[in-house]
Amino acid sequence: MKILKILLSAVLLALLFLPAWLQATEFIESAAFSGKNGIAVAFAVPVDKAAAAEASRYTVFEENDPDIKLSVTSAALGSDGRSLQLLFAEPLNSTKTHVVRVQGLEGGVDLNFKVAKPYFGHLFSILVAALVINNFVFTKYLGLCVFFGTSKRKKTAKGMGVVFTIVMVASASMSWLFYRFTLIPFHLDFLQIVVFIGLVSLTVQAVDTILRKVNPVLFNSFGVYLVLVIANCVIIAVPLIMSSLNYNFLETFMLALGAGGGFLLALYLMSSVRERLELAKIPPTFKGLPIAFIVAGQFALAFLGFSGLQLF
Amino acid sequence: MTTSSNTKPPWELLSRGILSENPIFRLALSMCPAVGISTTVMNGLMLGVAVLLVQVFSSVTISLFKNQIHPRIRIPTYTLTIATWVTVIDLVMAAYLPGAYAKMGIFIKLIVAFAIITMRLEMFACKENATDSFWDGVGMGLGFMVGMVVIGFVRELLGSGAILGYDVLGFKPLLFFILPSAGFFVVGLMMAFFNWVELVYKRRKGIQL
Amino acid sequence: MKDILNIVFRLTASCLMAAVVMGATFIFTDKAKKHNEHAREERTMYRLLGYGEGKPVPSTLALHQIYRYVITEPGRQLIGYLVPTTNAGKIGYTLVSLDLEGKMADRKTVALDVEQSREKEARDKAILAVIGPGKEIRFADHTIVVTDNGKRVAYLLGGKFPGFKTFINVMLALDQQYTTLGLEVLENEEDPGLGAEIEKDYFKNQFKGRTVDVLKGLQVVKEPLPDQYRQALEGRLADADVFRIMEQFKDKNIYALTGATISSRMLTDGLKGMVGKFVYRLDILDRVLKEQKIAVSF
Repeated sequence: MKILKILLSAVLLALLFLPAWLQATEFIESAAFSGKNGIAVAFAVPVDKAAAAEASRYTVFEENDPDIKLSVTSAALGSDGRSLQLLFAEPLNSTKTHVVRVQGLEGGVDLNFKVAKPYFGHLFSILVAALVINNFVFTKYLGLCVFFGTSKRKKTAKGMGVVFTIVMVASASMSWLFYRFTLIPFHLDFLQIVVFIGLVSLTVQAVDTILRKVNPVLFNSFGVYLVLVIANCVIIAVPLIMSSLNYNFLETFMLALGAGGGFLLALYLMSSVRERLELAKIPPTFKGLPIAFIVAGQFALAFLGFSGLQLF
Repeated sequence: MTTSSNTKPPWELLSRGILSENPIFRLALSMCPAVGISTTVMNGLMLGVAVLLVQVFSSVTISLFKNQIHPRIRIPTYTLTIATWVTVIDLVMAAYLPGAYAKMGIFIKLIVAFAIITMRLEMFACKENATDSFWDGVGMGLGFMVGMVVIGFVRELLGSGAILGYDVLGFKPLLFFILPSAGFFVVGLMMAFFNWVELVYKRRKGIQL
Repeated sequence: MKDILNIVFRLTASCLMAAVVMGATFIFTDKAKKHNEHAREERTMYRLLGYGEGKPVPSTLALHQIYRYVITEPGRQLIGYLVPTTNAGKIGYTLVSLDLEGKMADRKTVALDVEQSREKEARDKAILAVIGPGKEIRFADHTIVVTDNGKRVAYLLGGKFPGFKTFINVMLALDQQYTTLGLEVLENEEDPGLGAEIEKDYFKNQFKGRTVDVLKGLQVVKEPLPDQYRQALEGRLADADVFRIMEQFKDKNIYALTGATISSRMLTDGLKGMVGKFVYRLDILDRVLKEQKIAVSF
């Protein structure tokens, strides 16, 4: 339960830092994709019906392709005069930001606004992707040594997972700062392996020292796992993925949080099964690691079902 | 430098890495790539070679400089050594083998976090001379490579009916084996197989005695 | 105290040694890396055009790169094409900027040579220097016009679009009538054994020989791939048979991969969008180049 609280507060903290999605003009209250080939716009005040219904007044294009205009087949204004539904000849690619231009709608002024998926949704989908879709243990196959080593008891599994998440978020944030402001400007990205592993070791050392001083009780229960964290590929994989995908800070934060949470989830699931396995009758040749691998394989198959999951 | 009076024969060091202390099947270390990218023999071979080189270079480096390493900064020095050699291998592979490098993805860089390499440095290279460390490194690296190739062989043969990309069976027996999650099953079943061989061997011996 | 100094000294020394080793490797491999990457890219291009073993690349064949940029200035946006031009037998580069209606807004000579033009950084810098301050540029895509003896024979277009899991990076070859000559999947992160099969011959060659009209209306169907078609796609039959079978299937829909219908559909949709945009843009660019009498090398 405690872990859940920690995770929840971390997510809430992340939400606080999210920039609000601001619209370009105050005249437009909201604009969003609706259905496969439509855009729904809500105006702040009612507009002229006849003018708004003329499809030729609207110019819509993807932000990256300003020269290719998407053909608007119809523009329908709702009875309140404020909600507008634009329909297009072809399905829209809602992963891209669209720009809508309206000519002379209200007092002859041209309107210009953007339609995009909410940024929060994008960040959330990175979190969910790292958590389940690309779970680091079951679909990326990272950190298996620690995974099989510490998933024998639920208690250890939880402790390990939490320590991992904390170290991962801290080291990934530091790595991002270092990568963005030192390695890239000086063309030193070939040093990334050395720098990232150094930062991970530093974080572990720092967490160790702080925890020992601040909360000795917690240290006694979690301290043993800290040593295991250093020599682990999950923790070094996060900064490497971040650098190869060119993530910004919030994206990196979400990736690290998701990766840590995913590791915790995997450890917890696995330890629950392994506690029961001890009571089961297993052929002697399969005792220990072999059966654990086969159970992990079944989990991996189950996690394959998450692939392609899209929430936003 | 210690004298070579206690030098062990190379074959003993080699066979230890490949058989009795095989990093994948016996020590169960560094399994991530064994599960993740062992879908073909070629992948297994490439990563095996990379690990072999990193292991040998790091072992020799550490054993050459073992008298200069301050015991209190032992582990950071190992990490630095391994990271340096991984970077070198990574850059060389990216430059000269771009096709294979693209398939390995992130795993080449992740060699830096392989437990077997640090373990060999701590347990062997920091005590023994350079020649022995060289053979020990070769043995461990080969052991890893053999493990990867065997898993890759099974998965490629059963999954796509081919070996090293050449179609040998003409059909695909079980597509399941090249699915990523099958790596867990193959490794698990092989470990069970090795256990079984050991059990049978011990039983026979017991009867004879 | 002495101990600490000792440790610091040794740590510094080992860091320096490591830096020397890594730096030296980087310097030695960097050039080879760029060269090999370029060679690999070129090999892919020639393979798509049908050259390879047994069919050497003729010396009259030339590849001309067009880089497209989106230029943003206060108040308006322009599309900038960096095209190679011949000036007294020498290859130079010109930035042709078009407004969103397809009329020429500006043309400027860019100080670049062929070697430099391959590097994104050098290109961006040269363009920024030419268009003046207060403007932003964003690299959009890169197209290659293939000429044989000065006559256009094919186009190669690169593209990146979403797949089932992450992105699919492809290169597509079209002839002058925009009929597809071949497809190569350069990068993908689909599931091995399922979606990753898009890079296999039996799937990607289904896009071969499609005219632009057929391609635009192409659908993905969930039907088993006919055995004969599969053999033809994998090139396991005699040339004449392959030709006959490919001809027979050239108006048919795309057979989806087993267990990866969405990957198949994403790839098909991505290609449709790519070709549609390319045809539209090339027509405009060609018209402008002709009107303005810009001596491009293709």
